[in-house]
Amino acid sequence: MASSASSSTGSSKKIDANGGPDTADKEEKKEDRTFECNICLDTARDAVVSMCGHLFCWPCLHQWLETRPSRQVCPVCKAAISKEKVVPLYGRGSTKQEDPREKVPPRPAGQRTEPEGGSTFPGFGFGDTGFHMSFGIGAFPFGFFTSTFNFGDARPGAAPHGTPQHLEEQYLSKLFLWLAVLFIFWLLLA
Amino acid sequence: MAGLSPSERRLQKELMSLVKEPPPGVTVDSDVIERNLLQWLINMDGASGTLYEGENFQLQFKFSNKYPFDSPEVTFVGPNIPVHPHVYSNGHICLSILTDDWSPALSVQAVCLSIVSMLSSCKEKKRPPDNAFYVKTCNKNPKKTKWWYHDDSV
Ligand SMILES: [Zn+2]
Ligand SMILES: [Zn+2]
Repeated sequence: MASSASSSTGSSKKIDANGGPDTADKEEKKEDRTFECNICLDTARDAVVSMCGHLFCWPCLHQWLETRPSRQVCPVCKAAISKEKVVPLYGRGSTKQEDPREKVPPRPAGQRTEPEGGSTFPGFGFGDTGFHMSFGIGAFPFGFFTSTFNFGDARPGAAPHGTPQHLEEQYLSKLFLWLAVLFIFWLLLA
Repeated sequence: MAGLSPSERRLQKELMSLVKEPPPGVTVDSDVIERNLLQWLINMDGASGTLYEGENFQLQFKFSNKYPFDSPEVTFVGPNIPVHPHVYSNGHICLSILTDDWSPALSVQAVCLSIVSMLSSCKEKKRPPDNAFYVKTCNKNPKKTKWWYHDDSV
């Protein structure tokens, strides 16, 4: 191993060769242009890259995807793009190896609207709102329909237990659950 | 660059690169723009060898604080509005990248280039067919117009 004296001269020479920290900084800036976000034009932070190879800050790209949720295209080449299909970049210098997509801004909440007044939503039950829920699951591959077919929009709360209306709802919910199950089987077999 | 909003930060960068490498025939007064980064005035010369050779135009860019996610409002202003099938006599421009096809990866420079090429490819100087009606009825902001981009050939 080299003596400590020689290694320290080595490092000081290197700084000299770069012409001091100022020039080094400038050179670094020039090189960094390759890694500029295509939206804010700064060096990409929390960088992500699209399938088409374009680099963005995740916050910048996220804001763009939010701007036109119905038509998500790459700002540079107009290729289709989505949150799920961007790759986070982890450089050696990055402190934390966390997925930038997990950070702010968080993934937007789903577009399903819960029926109004359903404060006692029992989860995946067969109860009051089961009908609503199971239909949602059945239509899972077509996420779009889930929100459109939201029967519960103006439903004035679930009927109280024991009433005929409640029983009817329960029956309907089971019926739809079975339909959903059959549908899934059909999808699997098809 | 402290104290600038993200929009202004980006505009500042665009201004620096536009001053450094302007598209042919395009000039800006960067001192004026630096006082208000959200509104630019750009001088554009008609390219030589085109119908607009020797003419001078002024383009006004207005940016919202949502820029670059929101497209700039771009109009021709001043005494000379180019006579072109996609340019109304009030300065409004029918150009898809200014509304529907806007992308935050575009820039002032890209818009200028696009307008220069739109002018350069013109074969006959005339106003859009619906000019009189449009100018009378349109909103002051061209971005409020629901444009039809049916004719990409001119
Ligand atoms: Zn960015
Ligand atoms: Zn792309």
